[in-house]
Amino acid sequence: MQDRNGIDRRTFVQATATTAAALAVTDLFGLGKALAATGPAEGIGYFSRFGVTEKLIKDTLGAALSRGGDYADVFFQHRITNNMTLEDGAVNRASANVALGVGVRVVKGDQTGYGFTEDLTADAMKRAALTAAAIAQGASKSAPKRLNVTKKDNRYPVKVKWEDVRPTQKLTILNGLNEKTFAADKRVQKVNINFMDGNGVILVADSNGRIVEDIQPMTSVYLSVVAEQDGRKENNTVNVAARSDIDFYNPARLDKLVADGIAKTMILFDAVQPPAGEMPVVLGAGSAGILLHEAIGHGMEADFNRKNVSIYSDKIGKPVAKEFVNIIDEGTQPAARGAINVDDEGNQVGKTMLVEKGVLSTYLHDSISAKHYGVKPTGNGRRQGYEFAPMPRMRSTYMLPGPHKKDEIIASVKKGIYCDHFSNGQVNIGAGDFTFFVKNGFLIEDGKLTTPIKDVNIIGNGPKVLELVDMVADDLKIDEGGWTCGKDGQMVPVSQGMPTVRVASITVGGRAETKKG
Amino acid sequence: MSTTMKQTDDMLSIARSCIEIAKKGGATEASAAAYRVRNVDFQWRDGKPEKVEESTTRGVQLAVFADQRYAVVSTSDLRREALETFIGDAVDLAKSLAKDPFRSLPDPELYKGQSTVDLGLEDPKYDTVTPELRQRIAKEAETAARAVKGNEAILSVTSNVSDTLTERFLVSSNGFAGKRRDTSFFVSAQVSVKDKDGRRPEDYSYAGARHFAEVPGGAVIGREAGERTIARLGAKKGESAEMTMVIDNRASGRMLGFLMGPLSGASIQQKRSFLEGQLGKQVFSDKITIVDDPFIPKAFGSRLFDAEGISAKTRPVVEAGVLKSYYIDSYYGRKLGVAPTSGSASNLRWTLGDKNRDALVAGLQDGILVTSFLGGNSNGLTGDFSLGVQGFRIRGGKLAEPVGEMNISGNHLVFWKQLAAVGNDPFPYSALRTPTLVFDGVSFAGV
Repeated sequence: MQDRNGIDRRTFVQATATTAAALAVTDLFGLGKALAATGPAEGIGYFSRFGVTEKLIKDTLGAALSRGGDYADVFFQHRITNNMTLEDGAVNRASANVALGVGVRVVKGDQTGYGFTEDLTADAMKRAALTAAAIAQGASKSAPKRLNVTKKDNRYPVKVKWEDVRPTQKLTILNGLNEKTFAADKRVQKVNINFMDGNGVILVADSNGRIVEDIQPMTSVYLSVVAEQDGRKENNTVNVAARSDIDFYNPARLDKLVADGIAKTMILFDAVQPPAGEMPVVLGAGSAGILLHEAIGHGMEADFNRKNVSIYSDKIGKPVAKEFVNIIDEGTQPAARGAINVDDEGNQVGKTMLVEKGVLSTYLHDSISAKHYGVKPTGNGRRQGYEFAPMPRMRSTYMLPGPHKKDEIIASVKKGIYCDHFSNGQVNIGAGDFTFFVKNGFLIEDGKLTTPIKDVNIIGNGPKVLELVDMVADDLKIDEGGWTCGKDGQMVPVSQGMPTVRVASITVGGRAETKKG
Repeated sequence: MSTTMKQTDDMLSIARSCIEIAKKGGATEASAAAYRVRNVDFQWRDGKPEKVEESTTRGVQLAVFADQRYAVVSTSDLRREALETFIGDAVDLAKSLAKDPFRSLPDPELYKGQSTVDLGLEDPKYDTVTPELRQRIAKEAETAARAVKGNEAILSVTSNVSDTLTERFLVSSNGFAGKRRDTSFFVSAQVSVKDKDGRRPEDYSYAGARHFAEVPGGAVIGREAGERTIARLGAKKGESAEMTMVIDNRASGRMLGFLMGPLSGASIQQKRSFLEGQLGKQVFSDKITIVDDPFIPKAFGSRLFDAEGISAKTRPVVEAGVLKSYYIDSYYGRKLGVAPTSGSASNLRWTLGDKNRDALVAGLQDGILVTSFLGGNSNGLTGDFSLGVQGFRIRGGKLAEPVGEMNISGNHLVFWKQLAAVGNDPFPYSALRTPTLVFDGVSFAGV
């Protein structure tokens, strides 16, 4: 109800989860497995429990096309999300959220009509379909005669379903993390931990006669530490996330989470804000992929390009970076937060080269933009939920390894900064200006990491910064963090990765210490 | 197809039955919020409809307390049998957690004294906004945007017209029952232009109101969006320097927003706030006086009761720079051992200065007018912040060249004491209602 001024912003936040906790749903994964092996008649597996039938889908698609749209689809969703929170030494808060609904979309050229309902009855779905149908004004078209199941891989198999995990198993993890964090350092004052798990099940069927269901698990743990030293307090937050089951939280991963949380908090007592101005910036391997997400990823989403409003709108086939720069967006990494078996339009998901050998290669497409450009969809049509029409979104965005070594890169900088822990970023698509916020890093002086730095924003221009990426190391790392991307009010989970890279010059938003204006 | 949302009490009975089911299942206390929202969003781009979305959505959120154990659950699956299973599981979930002596519903005394004033939050003419009218306004916005001086640079214009009718019931097992219906209408326009260097800057304008008749027309919004965007042409990075900063009333809400988290009871109790221990102290410039006022007619933050059912009251937040109160809900009030105020802000009513943005700019020899922020963050515990900015250089009391790709950094505990002036122009389309603000000695990073 507050500002609606987000329309020119694409934010990228790593927020602590706010909802949570799970409801048992019977046979969730069993049905998924059955589906993969079945023919058209069994296209509706999971959603049959809500009374969804092939006839209901065909009738709805028929109503959707009753005013002559080019294309229509229905998107059913049943998502259960659970959270447990530890505060002041005890897990004393839990939440559960259930979302159940269906969205109906009608496309006419580049135009979209959209309606949705939580009520999965024939009447309510017909009303939603007629709402969406109003975008077109022509003769009725007919619904598909039969629905064929789209084949897909399973990139996120689980051994134990989340609804079969007893609360005590999660409590053990939360309490264990709390004890270890307090035990690790006497300066720890407060520990907050959030454990999220969930299953989202989707069914997409369209007027081309395709139908597919997908069961999408997700889990994350956030650990936030407040410490005090000599009357001063500092805090930091670390997290891990995956489309996986409770086995993801093995002792090694949990111990590393605690060690990271402690190290990244305690070093802040010695950290300064760096000086302001343009300087060389070295980005550490892993979550520095946030640079790609903001500097190029959003600008390559094809909706902005078909509308002619992206800074990359006229750059396909043109060199944008050095020859050793290769940037990929893909949805196929096993168990990655940004992995998907199919996109939210039912399209196959693979790897898309944004930049190949320094040349701008392929936009990220949904069905509308793919049709506009006369290419195949890239499997980037995603949405937050049934309340929203899909649009091109990233999945896991990263840079391939390059010819340099990490040590060589750091040694090459006389005066600059090294950044290795980030919290958020944002971009203006058209002007190309983007930012990312650095929680931890170091000054680089004469080729060596020296004083720790903290809480500084870095601002640059996408195409300019890509040109200035002049060293890329061979140490690509895909980050395991719980990244969430926001665009036009829709949040979707994503992943990102990066080898160590050097940007020759970019503006670091530290403290001005020189000229008076 | 019905376009209206009739006044019915079916969501009230759903809220009541949720509490009943929870108590039957072993909850000692419960509260339920049930809502129904009708929303229409019409988007127009470059001479034709781009997207039309329309929906009526509903759901319920339920807080269950079982012997001082607590869980909160929400669902859009309101089938009776689904609700029974869902709520039974919620009570079991709560029971699996640690006991928390601070968990219970608010003291019913806090429900008392609810104002009966009519806040005017629902437009009785909501139903008169038709698809044809939305389209006309959206077209007017595009036409006006394309008519501004310098329009040859325009690449694309997108305009939106949206309206929402919300109905919400809140029921608690210890005696609270409240109902609220409100409407809101928004018109916005976004413009992209092509710059000589290939960049495609964009800017936007928007306005909204609880009553349709009070929303400025599409022409006003479109013209402002066009002018704001064309003014961005040729933006360059400025020099790193310490300068006076004017923040316009739309952008200044972001700066103020960074104080809201640290003002919350949760942040104070969890030792995550730079405002901990600052109550009664001079934290801000003495030019700042802000009252939390829930009773401003037709305003976006107005209310008679808050999310817990606590009766709304007018409360000073900052008086001449002295911090007067935190936002404390009943849970953190118990944990901190203080009386709750409310866990959330309503409207912020500022004591205003006597100049608008242009007059404040005219009084400056040198500085930067910030018209929007880009990314960045603020550390709620230390008060350090670092934010991307864009706007215009001020030279000799006039707006000069546009600047972008710059950054400001500072610490709130120092920054807010450097406030030099408060404008007379509160931004009416947000509950924060920030005016133009002027700060001395701000650290800008650029070239």
